[in-house]
Amino acid sequence: MELIIGGAYQGKTGYAAEKFGITEEDTYICSENEMVSFDKPCIDHVEEFVLYCVKNEMSAREIFEKNREKWGSSVIMCREIFSGVVPVDTVERLWREETGRVLTWLSSEAGSVTRLFCGIPQRLK
Amino acid sequence: MTVFISGGCKNGKSMLAQRLARDFADNGELYYVATMIPHDDEDEARIKKHIADRDGWGFKTIERGRDICRCLEEGTPEGSYLLDSVTALLSNEMFSGGETDFSSPERVACELCRFAGSVKALVLVSDFIYADAGRYDEFTESYRRGLAHIDRELARISDVVVEVCAGNYIVHKGVLPA
Repeated sequence: MELIIGGAYQGKTGYAAEKFGITEEDTYICSENEMVSFDKPCIDHVEEFVLYCVKNEMSAREIFEKNREKWGSSVIMCREIFSGVVPVDTVERLWREETGRVLTWLSSEAGSVTRLFCGIPQRLK
Repeated sequence: MTVFISGGCKNGKSMLAQRLARDFADNGELYYVATMIPHDDEDEARIKKHIADRDGWGFKTIERGRDICRCLEEGTPEGSYLLDSVTALLSNEMFSGGETDFSSPERVACELCRFAGSVKALVLVSDFIYADAGRYDEFTESYRRGLAHIDRELARISDVVVEVCAGNYIVHKGVLPA
């Protein structure tokens, strides 16, 4: 699995297209309103799936672990949302922390980790 | 020579930018492009602090909160320019005309690229506002998306791209001059 991370609008999608040939059709975009799908070769906005899990008191990591064979060779993208001020709202607060945990775990599972900064990739792993 | 600097607030971006702009000037013309249009006492105090920080560095100040290419009406193409900040410039262009100008990010990106190509040296300072868990209204999110667009364009055309973190320099592109 190849993990691509970065802040909002830093060029993750463009990098996935350039580096791994990922198209829009290849990409499942997570939503805070539905269970993640592992059917496509690229999963984008994992942070939104984490929010879905927080709202529904589920563990995103457990769901990923149970479906390991389905995303083992996927490209996974996640927005970094864990800097900035601690949100007042409880759900947002848990979301921010849980995204940090999930991303740290995904990073340990990944074959490569690349972080985008203003469109420039930096290989972290 | 174009250098793009971003990072968190009060982490030392301006100090690095000042040093680089001065070194690029090589005793020639050195300009500070003041982008902030003060709205209250807090802005005035912030500006005073920046002016004090630049004291004795030899900067000529060009006050230009919009239409950045018009800096060349006051400054020479052979000069070295410090533009602090892209953040304030977009804020002025997007929000100070009454109606929100959603087309301003594209325009500002083009103008900044053109300005960079028109002068000997340009050091640009922006702010990294993209890694928090805030859920914003449409206007704020458009601003954030727009600033990121400008940042990526500037990073693409810059010779050097530096992220400043707590006074430390992470060089993402090129070589930071000593």
